[in-house]
Amino acid sequence: MMRWLAAVVAVLAFTGAAHAAPVNTGHLTAELVPQTQGVAPGATTYVALRQKMLPGWHTYWRNPGDSGEPTEVKWTLPAGWKTGDIVWPAPSRLPVGPLVNYGYEGEVLLPVPVTAPADAKPGQTAVLSADAQFLVCREECVPEDAKLTLLLPITAGAAPVDPTWGPRIARTLAEAPKPAGLSAGFEKRGANVVLAIAGAPLKGTADRGAYFYPYDSTVIDHGKPQLVDRGPDGLTLTATPGYAFQGGAEPKSIAGVLAVDGKAYELTAQPGALPAGTSGLGPPAAKAAQGAGIGAHLGLISAAVFAFLGGLILNLMPCVFPILAMKAASLATHGGRDEARTRAHGLAFGAGAVATFVALAALLIGLKAAGSAIGWGFQLQSPPVVAVLALLMLAVALDLSGVFEVGTSLQGVGSGLAGRGGLAGDFFTGALAVVVAAPCTAPFMGAAIGWALTQPAAAALAVFLALAIGFALPFVAVTFWPGLLSRLPKPGPWMDVFRKALAFPMYAAAAWLAWVLTLQAGPSALARILTAAIVLALAAWIGGAAQSRAAQGRRPVVLGAAAGLIAAAAIAASIWPAYAEAPMNGGAQVAHADFQPYTPERLAALRSEGKPVFVNYTAAWCVSCQVNDRVVLSTKPVVDAMQKYGVAYLKADWTKRDPAIAEELAQYGRAGVPLYLVYGANGGAPQVLPAILTQGAVIKALEAAAKKG
Amino acid sequence: MKLASVLMLRSFSRRVLLLAAAAVAVVGPALAGPQIDQPAPPFSQHDQNGRLRSLSDFKGRIVVLEWTSDACPYSHKHYDSGNMQRLQARARRQGVVWLTVITDAPGSSGYMTPAEVRAWMRKVRSHATAVLIDSDAKVARAYEAKTTPHMFIIDKAGRLVYMGGIDDRPYVDPASLKGAKNYVALALADLKAGRPIADPVTRPYGCSVKYGP
Repeated sequence: MMRWLAAVVAVLAFTGAAHAAPVNTGHLTAELVPQTQGVAPGATTYVALRQKMLPGWHTYWRNPGDSGEPTEVKWTLPAGWKTGDIVWPAPSRLPVGPLVNYGYEGEVLLPVPVTAPADAKPGQTAVLSADAQFLVCREECVPEDAKLTLLLPITAGAAPVDPTWGPRIARTLAEAPKPAGLSAGFEKRGANVVLAIAGAPLKGTADRGAYFYPYDSTVIDHGKPQLVDRGPDGLTLTATPGYAFQGGAEPKSIAGVLAVDGKAYELTAQPGALPAGTSGLGPPAAKAAQGAGIGAHLGLISAAVFAFLGGLILNLMPCVFPILAMKAASLATHGGRDEARTRAHGLAFGAGAVATFVALAALLIGLKAAGSAIGWGFQLQSPPVVAVLALLMLAVALDLSGVFEVGTSLQGVGSGLAGRGGLAGDFFTGALAVVVAAPCTAPFMGAAIGWALTQPAAAALAVFLALAIGFALPFVAVTFWPGLLSRLPKPGPWMDVFRKALAFPMYAAAAWLAWVLTLQAGPSALARILTAAIVLALAAWIGGAAQSRAAQGRRPVVLGAAAGLIAAAAIAASIWPAYAEAPMNGGAQVAHADFQPYTPERLAALRSEGKPVFVNYTAAWCVSCQVNDRVVLSTKPVVDAMQKYGVAYLKADWTKRDPAIAEELAQYGRAGVPLYLVYGANGGAPQVLPAILTQGAVIKALEAAAKKG
Repeated sequence: MKLASVLMLRSFSRRVLLLAAAAVAVVGPALAGPQIDQPAPPFSQHDQNGRLRSLSDFKGRIVVLEWTSDACPYSHKHYDSGNMQRLQARARRQGVVWLTVITDAPGSSGYMTPAEVRAWMRKVRSHATAVLIDSDAKVARAYEAKTTPHMFIIDKAGRLVYMGGIDDRPYVDPASLKGAKNYVALALADLKAGRPIADPVTRPYGCSVKYGP
């Protein structure tokens, strides 16, 4: 377009490379900057086009993505001088509504190799002129261009590095995507294109997400997410094919840049022949970032802080209440005794909680490594576990009611180890508290655990440890704070009344678990669990009789053994034979008439109709979910708002372990329910509501979702 | 053995379903996008006169969809030079229905009210059959329109036969029009002559379509 004169001019008393003043083109400042302060004849140096954008504005990569245009530099050089292609740094993704562009925000250096001719005369200075054309965009796009010049002295020997730009250009060049011996293959699989990449740099490093930037803008649909699966030797990306796959065609190869772990590699994938060892280990942590950016960049420290807070808050969650009741009772028991002993009790409780959390973490990590798609709260997704917990709660309740006595304290009931009483009892109370509290994924806990589960084992353990410490802290603190402790009522006859009153939350917990069991295993399980409960009550009664015989100095062996046997039979009957699977849309539907069971297809269909959609990821055993349901979602203002704004209500039930739902939760950085998503009528990523809902927040989100345009 | 393979199959299909669902969850229906040689996605949208226009209104006729935005320098390249209007006029003479689509959401700089669209049509001397005011992006989503301009051609049987750029010069510089290979003109000529379209899918270029929030 523009013709610039080429010239080699001698410049008097000139020592370093000089560039003309930077050019402000309106939305960015452009200039040419050198890596070295000159260049020797026949040598190559780099000159970079520097673009410093206004905040919010961007320029484009070599493949601009769905729209836009890459920056272009047209050089006008003295005779014999040569330039190469731009060395493009790895771009970032710039979403615009449903579209995605690839480009640079803030500031970028686009280095270009410049070679001086062998016959260049040292002492002279070359004038390098460039006509840089670029599209700079925020929402709107403005084509801008800059005429830039750089004066580059010709030096006899190797030129010194430019103090300002040399190191920065060197770093840009070092970080630019380069081939790394990766082998890659692609294959059209149904509606997707699968890209499998293997190679030494990918072994065990792909923990922070991966993204493939194609050089050609027609091979993949830039706006669609790339799902990542890892393998021992590499990774597999599942993307949506681009135009090149239209009408049954296929590109001959797919070349581009794989960005992973902050590094970028150049690769070319051939059709068919996917390299082995590139899948099966599940998605990396940053998958959540692709979904909605929740919890993805949570560092280890902030994850631990959140976990600690989550642990604290866990004490307040409704499903921990029965255990809190037990703790209060046990505090009352210890009240008035010597401080050291109370502290020891507190520490024992804390140790129990911590040990259980760590054991759970180890179990989770182990199961995860085994490739099992599990989530927090999984214990309560198995009917036998629910049945045994229901019986355990009943046994605790019966004990509190005074049907029988376990040891000298209340702790450790049902663990079978409570007979040790004292410190051991406290330890097992801590353990029991964790088992019961675990399914209630508290709001602060979800993101932290979701993060931990996708991290290396050590990080996951650290997060669980923080969670445990937060959980145990209030109780331990109270035992260390005599002031608090002395405010507790003195032991007396009221304790027995108090203890018997505390039995009722435990009965309620048992009843609730029985209800959960019927949701999981159908009505036939009800008869079974109730029978087992009655048999257990019988065992408790006989056990109590044995204890009173013992108290009278008679031998309790026969009765005790009978009680033990009957109790064992009750528990065994609740575990074996296996429970039948109940159809999931049974019991849960009764409570709400106006929701539809969630399926991905249903969601897609509703969204394609342009309907706003509310998705409730819930489970019968999740108390927070149930509370939200009762207190917010099934109240008249919210139901009316759903009707008013025409919002479709989908319920994803995770009461039974469903890997499809588990994976979706993982996408939003959650390892458990609740999760509430609101999809707007306009499409795009959903809004994620907090785990503890309020009517106002839900109605506001529904209103916003219904808004078009 | 048999059971195991059935289980594997089930888990595999479930995985595929899951991937599809995840894709759908983030950006809308992945499979509903426009496919070449398949029936064109149906749509209904109001035009600059408030009249509801549906694809089914034009059964038996060739339909061209053209995405544009008055705030986009690439659209300006084609309108300011008269390139787009010439293409429209030539197509209309051959009985082709030409629908210009403006998706720019309210609040974006290319958004126009019906009255403003009518004024714009007079100003640029548009030869389009109608301009669809697609502020809610219904049509854009159905066609996964990405850029302005982004061109689609639907044949008389209602099949999508062309999708992509208006030409092979993805530049904003008006000088790039000279010698450009106009894919839309070539595709319409192929259709008229009863030939298969030489380049049925090309890369669209331009500004991003301004979907609303």
